[in-house]
Amino acid sequence: MGIMNKLFGWLKGKKKEANVLCVGLDNSGKTTIINYLKPNDAQQVDIVPTVGFNVEKVTMTNLSFTVFDMSGQGRYRVLWSHYYKETQGVIFVVDSADKLRMAVAKDELDQLLKHQTIMNKRIPILFFANMDVQNSLSAVKCSQLLGLENIKEKPWHICASNAKTGEGLSDGMHWLSDQLQTVK
Amino acid sequence: NNNWLNAYYDPVAGIYTFPSCIALADLNSDGDNKLVIADLGSGLYKMTLKVFQGTSVVQENALLDLPTGIVSVYMDNMEPRTPGIVVASGSCLFVYKNMRPYYKYPLPLLPVNEAEKSLWNAVRNGDVVADALTAALSSLKDEIYASALTSQTLRFLQLESRDEAEAFIESHKNVGLKRETVVTCLATMKKSVAEEDAISCLVAGTEHKEIQIIDSEAFTQLKSYNLPSIPVFINVSGLYDVDFRLFVACRDGKIYALKKDSTEYRVCIELGSQVVGMERIHKHMVVATMDKAVSCYTTKGKKLWSLELPANIVCTGIMDQKAKGFKALMVGLDNNEIRIYKDKNLVDTLTLNDRPQAICYGRYGREDSTLVSVTSSGALNVHILKRTAEYSEQSGNQGQLNPQKTKLNIPKKTQLFVDQTVREREHGTEMFQSFQHDLQLIRLQAAKTYIHGLNSSITPISDDPDIPLKLNATVQGIGPVFQMMVTVENTASSTASDPKLVSDLKMMFKFSDKVYTATPRIFSLPPLVPGIPYRFPIRIECIATDQPAQDTVTAVVFTRSKPKPIVTANISMPVSEGVVVV
Repeated sequence: MGIMNKLFGWLKGKKKEANVLCVGLDNSGKTTIINYLKPNDAQQVDIVPTVGFNVEKVTMTNLSFTVFDMSGQGRYRVLWSHYYKETQGVIFVVDSADKLRMAVAKDELDQLLKHQTIMNKRIPILFFANMDVQNSLSAVKCSQLLGLENIKEKPWHICASNAKTGEGLSDGMHWLSDQLQTVK
Repeated sequence: NNNWLNAYYDPVAGIYTFPSCIALADLNSDGDNKLVIADLGSGLYKMTLKVFQGTSVVQENALLDLPTGIVSVYMDNMEPRTPGIVVASGSCLFVYKNMRPYYKYPLPLLPVNEAEKSLWNAVRNGDVVADALTAALSSLKDEIYASALTSQTLRFLQLESRDEAEAFIESHKNVGLKRETVVTCLATMKKSVAEEDAISCLVAGTEHKEIQIIDSEAFTQLKSYNLPSIPVFINVSGLYDVDFRLFVACRDGKIYALKKDSTEYRVCIELGSQVVGMERIHKHMVVATMDKAVSCYTTKGKKLWSLELPANIVCTGIMDQKAKGFKALMVGLDNNEIRIYKDKNLVDTLTLNDRPQAICYGRYGREDSTLVSVTSSGALNVHILKRTAEYSEQSGNQGQLNPQKTKLNIPKKTQLFVDQTVREREHGTEMFQSFQHDLQLIRLQAAKTYIHGLNSSITPISDDPDIPLKLNATVQGIGPVFQMMVTVENTASSTASDPKLVSDLKMMFKFSDKVYTATPRIFSLPPLVPGIPYRFPIRIECIATDQPAQDTVTAVVFTRSKPKPIVTANISMPVSEGVVVV
């Protein structure tokens, strides 16, 4: 099957495409993660807080993602729900050093999961427990605090990451691309 | 609760603080606001200034004296914009910048009483011994207020033994006398620009009934006001360079208004109870008092509304959502609730595990709508307002209705109503005069009847102060034979030495001979003991057989020595049934 797919893709001369939504609270590192996934020459040095959203194209070995990098600031979070319809996967970024706002992240995640369009779709959700400082929470602790064990309907995966060094990012993205291919 | 996320709860944080000792500030100008709490420790020692970042304490500084207030204030125009933390403690303002001690501003010393100074001078020269000094100082303390003396004198007067006093004199006689004041409350006022990070000056209230405005750049006193009482809460509006107004709640339960131009105070609001918290919402002052009330006043001192709360108020705070333009009052109550009132409508209630001792709303970390509360058990709570939480006027349906909105059920105007109104408008004077005339006639008639009653003693209560009697009677039966129960009571207030017995009285019945007979018709009353009702049964028979009879029987109590009856009771008899002939 995989060989056929690859062959098919190669014959078509075009990779499969998927729309992915990248959400999370402000200052959790969404833009930094997307920036790291871009080819080296297209990477930015300074990351500024996103206003509204950015659309980025990220190519993996066998998939081409169109990532909607949403702004995480409180006043822009209402925009997230407008893109739920087209999305085939969700990346949810959590700042694992921000223990105080874990409750806010959980609240936003619950709202996302309860949203009509997301609830009815079986889309994969990838969590990045993002950290750049010492004494941050582990991925297991993060999944506990977010109540991930209650997500029964959808495939999900959490991995600890470091957006600045790129640690753990490729693991997560590989999981997501595998999921997107099996879902289709 | 649906509107608040419980972000953090530490039941063993062990913080003892008050609303004036909590501040949220961007101490490192990195957009990550820190929580600064001046902890009173045990109330005697271990006072600390704690800085929280997220869920942990990142810094602690020891304080020398009990903190009475902290504020964060921008003191210069340097970039990056880092605010200083000013802690009022004892007679000094301690300034911390980047969480390091930066400056200590002692409030200006007060003049020392001349008599006190000369006494201590005499001690230094060895002219006065400890006993004499104690006597002289305590008489001085009785003469003037204790607050007018130096702390050295007051401490000396507290010493119990003579040895202690001598040791105290030995160690203090070469120290100069200083009369320091104590800061009771602290606030900030923007200097010339109203921006968030503009330079502010400090407003401090002192134990010596003073309000001082202090420049935060140079630490000089800009202005000072004298008040009749000790300030507890200060509310500031306006800019120092342009125009400003201070509202100061004092320990005498009054709120005074101070202005830029004059040094005189004006009594703005006189409250019936002590102030627990004072906040300014838009143009109005909202004052929480110890009698469980929250009242709203205009700045002129006119009361707009008042609410009664179900429990004692412990602390107050302002919830200001600038992005939504929502400003409401938060009240911490004795029954573990934090209530949010928009105007006089209750919009939300948050229940804690314990009594909230201090509450503070603002930006903490990166979250704008955070509520930090410290309970009386020392627990630290952080609640974050949900993004989806909506507070509107309508959501306060649990609160009281706005009186303006309740519609009165006014009937429609009829033609008759209009005619009457026109008549009343045209002949108002005449109608009033004729009404007054009739009213006077009624009064005259009533007075005449009363006088007649008094003169002829036909009232059932005696007007003779020597023989105060009360008489009443009830009629039982349906006829033709009735039983009349007559009750006579001596209403004099007796004492053991003077029982005030009333004796030598007789009772007689007066009626038409053709209608009734009575047995006995006349009888002697026993001596009447005050306060005891005497009951006498009288048999009355209706002898008028031709028609259903109804007449009046008059009971009269009299004494041999007076021609006038003492009391009289008119008993109207019921209609008698006819004699049943078998």
